[in-house]
Formats: sequence, structure tokens, C-alpha cells
Amino acid sequence: MKRNNLLIISLVLVVTFMFSLGTFAQDDPIKIGAVNPLGDITGSQSSKAMELAVKEINDNGGLLGRPVELIVVDSELKPEKGAAAIDKLATVDEVDFFVGGMSSGVHQAQIPSLKKYEKITVWAGAASYLAEEAVGPDADWYFHLHPWDYQQGASYGEGWTQIAEKNEDVEIGRIFLAYEEGGFGTASFESYEEYVALAQEGEGPYAGIIEEFEGASFKSAALGGGEYRAILRQAREYDPDLFIWAGYAADAIPMLAQSREVGFEPSLYVGAPPGWPADFEANPLSDKVVLYGMWAPSLKEVSDIADHFWQGYIKMHQERPATYFAPLGYTNIMFLAEGIKAAGTLEKDALIEALRNVKYDSPLGTTLEISPSNVISNQGFTKQKILQYQDGKQEVIWPFDVSTAEIEYPFSW
Amino acid sequence: MSFSFKKSYKILLFFILFMVVIGIWNPNALLDGLQRGSLYAVIALPLALVLGILGVLNLAHGDFLTVGLYIIYMLNTRFDMDPLVSIIPTVIILAIMGAIIYLLTIKNVIDEGHLSQLLITFGISLILIEGINIIWTSMPRNVYTNYAYASTEIAGFRFGTYELFYILIAVGVLVGLQIFLKKTRLGQATFAVGQNPKGAKIVGINVNYVYLFVFTLAVAILGVVAGFMLPRTSIFPAVGSPFSLKSFALAAMAGMGNLNGILFAGITLGIGEAAINSIPNYGGWSDIVFFGVLIIVILARSYRGAK
Repeated sequence: MKRNNLLIISLVLVVTFMFSLGTFAQDDPIKIGAVNPLGDITGSQSSKAMELAVKEINDNGGLLGRPVELIVVDSELKPEKGAAAIDKLATVDEVDFFVGGMSSGVHQAQIPSLKKYEKITVWAGAASYLAEEAVGPDADWYFHLHPWDYQQGASYGEGWTQIAEKNEDVEIGRIFLAYEEGGFGTASFESYEEYVALAQEGEGPYAGIIEEFEGASFKSAALGGGEYRAILRQAREYDPDLFIWAGYAADAIPMLAQSREVGFEPSLYVGAPPGWPADFEANPLSDKVVLYGMWAPSLKEVSDIADHFWQGYIKMHQERPATYFAPLGYTNIMFLAEGIKAAGTLEKDALIEALRNVKYDSPLGTTLEISPSNVISNQGFTKQKILQYQDGKQEVIWPFDVSTAEIEYPFSW
Repeated sequence: MSFSFKKSYKILLFFILFMVVIGIWNPNALLDGLQRGSLYAVIALPLALVLGILGVLNLAHGDFLTVGLYIIYMLNTRFDMDPLVSIIPTVIILAIMGAIIYLLTIKNVIDEGHLSQLLITFGISLILIEGINIIWTSMPRNVYTNYAYASTEIAGFRFGTYELFYILIAVGVLVGLQIFLKKTRLGQATFAVGQNPKGAKIVGINVNYVYLFVFTLAVAILGVVAGFMLPRTSIFPAVGSPFSLKSFALAAMAGMGNLNGILFAGITLGIGEAAINSIPNYGGWSDIVFFGVLIIVILARSYRGAK
């Protein structure tokens, strides 16, 4: 009898223990591990936007009845720190998913670690095709949101073709590219060389619109340079229809100001840095400068979700989103959340399938859908936007379905 | 701290010939180089002063310039003060900061070996850069003034006018330092300390005070440079760092203690750099030429010294 009682008590204890484990598992948060460069505005605003997304999700009851927890680790824009952050999130924090981040160089260092854990990863930044090749075609757990560099180039070609068709005055037959002499600028130059070679054979995104191309390198102010007058005189002599500079944010104002100083006034003045300096739009030189990007604050005027994001971000952080990595960070979390909701489980294969079928109306003004790119099978956005600074505001001038203003042409001082 | 025109007439002739050749080939390159080279020289002069008198190679030199740029940026954005007007408070703030940093750090390693001095100034450099990064982030910032990018055209030759100030400042700072060193009692004491600190101490010169004054003056001069530079440049935490290396290069090219030589070296390298930049697709060679010329000059001088 005593033995039977002992057995019953033991069984009750074991069942209670197991039940309590189950209850705890049910209340355990779904952990999302993010790696962002927090010292840089792209990383800090992306992280803040992710916090906003997580707050909204938790305010609405979480996911699958569980709260969501965001753990952010700083990559400091250093490859070794970025890779170590993935290991830390996987082994110490035991996250369920990886999200983030920016910089192709950092991401390339992270890819071996990501492959080691094979957790579902939704990566927001990193545009270099080298990163895509490093991921490879077999990583079905890897989702990438930012357009790859070759997709960006193709979308600019498509955009300019449509703009030129719509506006008879706009000509872009002659292009001059001023590029910083490092890897970023040189890659841009090589891309344009390829596009022009293709266009001259009647192929590629610039076919029928580009006739001639010339480029010259400069030393970026970010790397101790900042003297552009010689190269701008070369550009003035070339007399391009479209002038593009591919450098860093530190080059933006001095480049424009020295252009004015040497009397260089191309019909289209395009800047293609990864980020812009603080308060660039407030500078009188910024007017009519064209830029490439994924988002502009003015999108809130034509998109409800963009407006929702804008208001929510300012309310939560008492600052304005100033870089497209903010809405991209928000999208990063929301896209994953939509997938989890659709799958109804965290089981890997089911979730991958669900994410592939998500159509998320994003604050970037574009619906996020997954399709294959050159190498990987789960690519998100495929196009950039063509924007223009007009009267201190960034306006979207292409794609036309989300445009907030007509192009102001030609550029003048 | 001297430069004899009589002894160096060959160098001077070569310098003038070099400018004439470049001027005929490409007047823009000559003017750009004169302006840029003068900026290099005026930044290098205070570094050379500290190197010549204290014997300390200040690796944080360019970062003090960065601090000056951010102070002027702050005065402009908070109080709408024009960068040129901001020079006065910035010079005072930098002088106080320089004096405090000298007393807390450099003073304690002045009699130590060069390694300790290099390490301590390297540490100061890192602290300044990271401090700025924490306060203002890495995002580049600008102050735009209309006058800084004004240009004029004479007989079809268009050129920017603002950077002509760099030439005036470089000459002004150089002349000011020479007058100070030769015509004032403190300057003569400074000169004596630079020549022979032990001897200067024996004849009653307060060497520690001279060191403090020279370091403070050097940092304060960077406030003047920062005021003129800010309207023409983007600022970010590492903006001044490349100027430390270039300043040291100029000091090495001119020869230890040769303040006049720094102006000539700065202008020579500035014109060389501008000339390379103006050759299409050879802009990337400018640093190679800059440091290549430097190496040739140092080797030539040591060869002449050995003879």
C-alpha cells in the first residue's frame, strides 16, 4: 500500500513537473537576435524601428500566444565583431531567429556562422553580390530583403528609361561617374562599365538610353581626401547629361559646393552614397539633387503603413527616422512575424514555406514578396527608388505608382 | 628654428621653377595646390613647434583639430555663430583643454622615452575620437556658408576665392611664430629650451612653463585653422586624423625645427598632389606621389649630410 502511494505521488509530481515545463515553454518568449552597428545612424535607427515593431506585436498579444523578445548586439561595423555577435546570439542567448544588419563586408564574415547554426535568418542589409555568392543556392533558411547591387543598377536603368519616356526634356545619353577610389566606388564604376557595354550592344537595363560614359576616381573625405575640383573640371569638360558621384556621406556637401565653385552644372546631379550627412535636405545646395534609396519620409503622404510607421517611430523614440534602414528594420521584424502567424508554428520547414508566401505591405512603399535572385531562392525587394530633394524634402519621383512629386529638371544652382 | 635663404637658394630656385612649370601647364592645379598646401602647412606648423621644442611627436594633433571643428560646429548650430567669429571662443577653449591635457598626461612622460610619449598621445587620440563619436555619432556634419564657395573669373580663368585665405593664414601663423620666437623674451626662452633644455634650465628658464606654453599655443592655433576649415569641409570623428600623418611628413621633409621649410614643403606637396589629381584617372596616385617625394627629399638630405 505504501509502495502504491509512493508511486502515485511520484507520478503526480512528474506529471505536474512536465506540465509546468510545458506551461513555461508556452510563456517563453520567441527570441529574435539582431546584429546592427549601433554607433552608426543606420544601425541605431534600424534597431529602434525593430523595437517599435516588437512593441506593436507584443501589444497585440505576441505571436502564437507567446511574447516576442528582441536581443540586439552591436557589430560596430567590424566583420569580426559581427561574426562573434551571431555566435553569441546562438549560444548564449539561444535566439530562434537572426535578423539585421548592414555592410556587405560585415555580413560576409557572418555567413559561415549563420551556416553553422542554419536558423531562419531574415537579413535586411548587405547589397554586394559577393555576399550572395557566399550564402550560396542551398541556404533555404536564408531570406534577404535589400536589393542586391546588380538589382539596384538594373532598377535605376528601368527608372531612368521610364522617366525619360514620360518627360521628353530629360536626356541621359552621356554619363559621368565620379567614384571614390575604394572598393565601394570602384564596384560602382565597374557596374556602369558593364551596363554601358551592354547598352552599346542594345542589351541590359540602359539599352537605348546611354550612349557614352566616362568615370574618374577621387579620394573620399571620409578617407582623408575632400578635394574634388580637378575631377569636377574634368566632368565639366565632358559635359554630361547625368553626373553621378559614388562616395560617402562626408563627400556630399563639399562635392556640391566645389561643383558650384568650378561652375559645373549638369542637367541631372545624382548622389549615390550609402548615407547622407545630417540635415542635408536643409542645405540650400541640396535642391534638385537626385538620389537613390528605398524610402523617403514623403511616402507617408501616399502610404498608410508608411504613415503608421512614421508616427509610431516618432512617438516611441522622439526623433524622426532619417534613413531607409529605419523602415527596413521595422519591415524586417514584421515580415518574420507575418510568416510565423501564417505558419502557426516555429517548425522550420513550415515557417520557410510560410515566409515564401508572405505578401507584406511595407512602410517602404512597396509590397514585400519573396522570389529567387541570381543565386539565392529567398530574395525580398528587387528595386530601389529614384528620389529627389525638392525644397528641403525628399520626394519619390520613381516608381510612378508611389511617386510623391514630378522630377524637377534641369538641375541648376 | 631657422631657415637661411642664402644657404638654400638652390632649393628656392627649384621651388619657384616647379611652380612656374605647373602654372604654365595647368594654372588650376597651381592654385589648388597652393591653397591645399598652405592648409597642410598651417596645420603642420604647431605640430613642428611641439616636436621641435618638447621633442614630442603628438599623434593626437589632428584630433585636436577635430575637437576644434566640432566646437565651432556646436557654436554655429546652437548659437548661430559664424564659423569665423567662433574662432575666438574656440581658441580659448582649445588652449584651456590643451593646457589641462598637457598637465595631466604629457608633462609626466616628457623625460621618458619616445615610446611612452607616442603611446600616451595615441591614447589621447583614441579618447578624443571615441568621445566625439559618443557625443555626435559618426554621421558627417556640415556648416554651409555662402562665402566659402564663392568664385571669381578673370580672363576665362575661374577659381575659388575662399581658400586663398589658407595662404594668408599659413604665412600669418608662420610670421607670427617667427616674431614670437625671435622678438619676445618668452619666445627667446622657448628657442633656448628647444636648443638645449638643460642649459636653459641652468640659466634660470622655467622649462616646464615653456613646455606648457608651447603645447597650449600649438593646440590653440588649431582653433584658428578649424574656424577657417569648417565652412569647406565635412566633419566626423576621424576627420583630423589624416592631418597628423601629413603634418609629421611635412615636419620630416622640412627638417626638424625648420618652420619656414614647412611652408615650402606643404606648398610643394600640395601642388604635386593637385597636379596628379588633374591628370585624368591618375587621382589615386596622389598619396603615392606625396609620400614618394617625401622619401626622396629625406634620402637626399641624409645623403648630403653624409657627404
